[in-house]
Amino acid sequence: MDRVDAPESLRSQVTVTQERSLRALFSSGKKKPDKRHKHIRVAFFRYCYYDPAFKFFVEQVLNAEYLPLPPATRRTDEIGTQNSTDYVCTPFKHILGDFADALEAGANVIVQFGGPCRLGYYGELQESILHDMGYDDFRMLNFSRGLEGSAAVAWTKECLKQVNPDINVPKAALRLIPLANMTTKLDAAMDFYLANAGFEVEPGSFDRAWEAFMDDMRTATDDKAVNEVYARTMDRFRSLPLNKPADPIRIGIVGEMFTAIDARANLGLDHKLLAMGVELHRMMNLTNRFVRYNEGNLRLSASEYIRYDMGPTSTLTIVAAKRYAEEGFDGIVHAKSAGCTPEIDCEPVLQRIAQDHSIPILYLTYDAQTSDTGLDTRLEAFYDMLAMKKQKGSRL
Amino acid sequence: MSDAYLGIDIGSISTKGVVITEDGQIIARSYLWTEGNPTEASKRVVRELEQQLEDARSQDGADAVRIVGAGTTGSARRLVGAMLGASVVKNEITAHAVGTTHLHPDVRTILEIGGQDSKIICVADGIAVDYAMNTLCAAGTGSFLSSQAHRLGVEVEEFGDIALTSQKPANIAARCTVFAESDLVHKIQMGYERQDIIAGLCHAVASNYLNNVGKGKTIAAPVVFQGGVSKNAGVVDAFEKLLGIPVAVDADGHLMGAYGAALLAADAGPIRQAESGPFATGTFDFEAMLDFDFKTREVECQKCANHCEVICVYRNRDIIDSWGNRCDKGAIKTTA
Repeated sequence: MDRVDAPESLRSQVTVTQERSLRALFSSGKKKPDKRHKHIRVAFFRYCYYDPAFKFFVEQVLNAEYLPLPPATRRTDEIGTQNSTDYVCTPFKHILGDFADALEAGANVIVQFGGPCRLGYYGELQESILHDMGYDDFRMLNFSRGLEGSAAVAWTKECLKQVNPDINVPKAALRLIPLANMTTKLDAAMDFYLANAGFEVEPGSFDRAWEAFMDDMRTATDDKAVNEVYARTMDRFRSLPLNKPADPIRIGIVGEMFTAIDARANLGLDHKLLAMGVELHRMMNLTNRFVRYNEGNLRLSASEYIRYDMGPTSTLTIVAAKRYAEEGFDGIVHAKSAGCTPEIDCEPVLQRIAQDHSIPILYLTYDAQTSDTGLDTRLEAFYDMLAMKKQKGSRL
Repeated sequence: MSDAYLGIDIGSISTKGVVITEDGQIIARSYLWTEGNPTEASKRVVRELEQQLEDARSQDGADAVRIVGAGTTGSARRLVGAMLGASVVKNEITAHAVGTTHLHPDVRTILEIGGQDSKIICVADGIAVDYAMNTLCAAGTGSFLSSQAHRLGVEVEEFGDIALTSQKPANIAARCTVFAESDLVHKIQMGYERQDIIAGLCHAVASNYLNNVGKGKTIAAPVVFQGGVSKNAGVVDAFEKLLGIPVAVDADGHLMGAYGAALLAADAGPIRQAESGPFATGTFDFEAMLDFDFKTREVECQKCANHCEVICVYRNRDIIDSWGNRCDKGAIKTTA
């Protein structure tokens, strides 16, 4: 693909690949070709801002080729919705549409995480739906397969079977360390972005820095590079001029893994809120849910509200809400997909937290919809309310 | 000549308008059906308001007023805001809260049921502290009551009075409009009295509201009930029975959104720098607004694969506003 013809979203990735192939050209002869490398294109579904981590996983761990996807279009969501089961949650529809896009773009393998809720069954279902739709020539790397025994063994087998039988397993396992590091760095940079982008002096400066960060992260192939990219990005972020009041409106976003984070699933919730000039916090991310997750100890900090683990993200949702309430946040936004049972179960608990701490919570339920007028109305009203409350509070 | 402000609330079913003095007194009011045409409905509302102001001046010797600012709210707020050249375009939740707390400084809970949506606003010390709005479905709102009235062959305006004559309201499930409708048909065929069915519907609307929108919210007195459905005495009665506290309905309750928008416009002050449109002279020009031809056109942006639907608002031949684009590539320049 020519650099100029590529869609804008892909251009950076093209550049990176080209630079790398140039480097390979000049250094050819010195380096032996990697016999373990598999020329097979692997695609993930579109998920939040973790594309660099997915790329790292495919290239460094699986030793295969990563197929990046351009941004989703309306067609993606239409295909996903049309071919989904009734009453299934929205992430299913988005992911299905993504898989169709990926297969049309030439993917040989598509990756489904599985997950600790219904998501765990989605991979198999989506695989058979895609076959019914006529996509015959693909394999699915499904991390919810073979979990009866040890996950590490099952996942290793799955990677070897579906993608690359020649993976050097001990070496690949070691590469999971920089992968985890990259994930935490992506999340740490996102935390800074959420807290400050609402107060940028120059419109778009944070988004530009963020895009550059994503591009840089896509080139990182080891721990050292990840750390360097992160340090450089944070320098750049901190040097951006800010106009932040001493006591800004602070909103915490809680909710399920997909809708609370993914901009497509929540119709750009972060951007809409940041545009109003607020400080955002979101505990829900891959770092807090997987890399550093200790459910039992986390639950202890909200033991007056929950005694049992209620589901995939319930503990994190409730603990985060409680923490935001205790830290004197102005409001909380709870985002979930329609029909997400674990998060519906969280709502009575959130209502109690709201009453105990007198903090307003805005409950948002998303389905695969195209209009965001209703969302704008609710967010605008929520912001107005918090702003008026704060103004009144400061006058007293 | 004193200054006044215009507030218009363009809802899915009805369009409301008020003119207020600088200190918040309503001096003209109008309430009409939107009939699927928000620009025409707003023009009719403005015409009626102008007539009322004119009558007040010629018949009662009231002061002549000049309108120096305008605010819009409701689902067509942006479209009509562009039309009027309004200084304030506010969501209906904020507008209702502002309007109601101005009239009832001691209110603690505002219940609101409109044509397509319903909301609850909790107030403390004259300021909104929490709110909720119905999501995903319009069960138990005004349009649901209208369609059921049609089925029963009754005008929806008579619903309340008929409901109050019932001794034994029928039990009707209103959790979902589809279920409610089949339940209703079933009860009619079973031979229930019409007033009992109507009272049952009113009761179902109130309990559905409290179980959905009001879920988890503390409903403290004084309670004010607004929106078109608040004109239905049967629903008011059902709320009082369910809550066990009096529910106040203001004579101007259905105008609260428009009133709030006007108050916010008054807060923003007179519009001074309009280059064109009805406020070009600094004073609202009724004739100009009624003469202008407002049209909207939908264009599908072709700049990327997302194909955003961009709405362009035309005043005569000028584009005065546009929205719907998700990125700057789809931005359309105004020509006025």
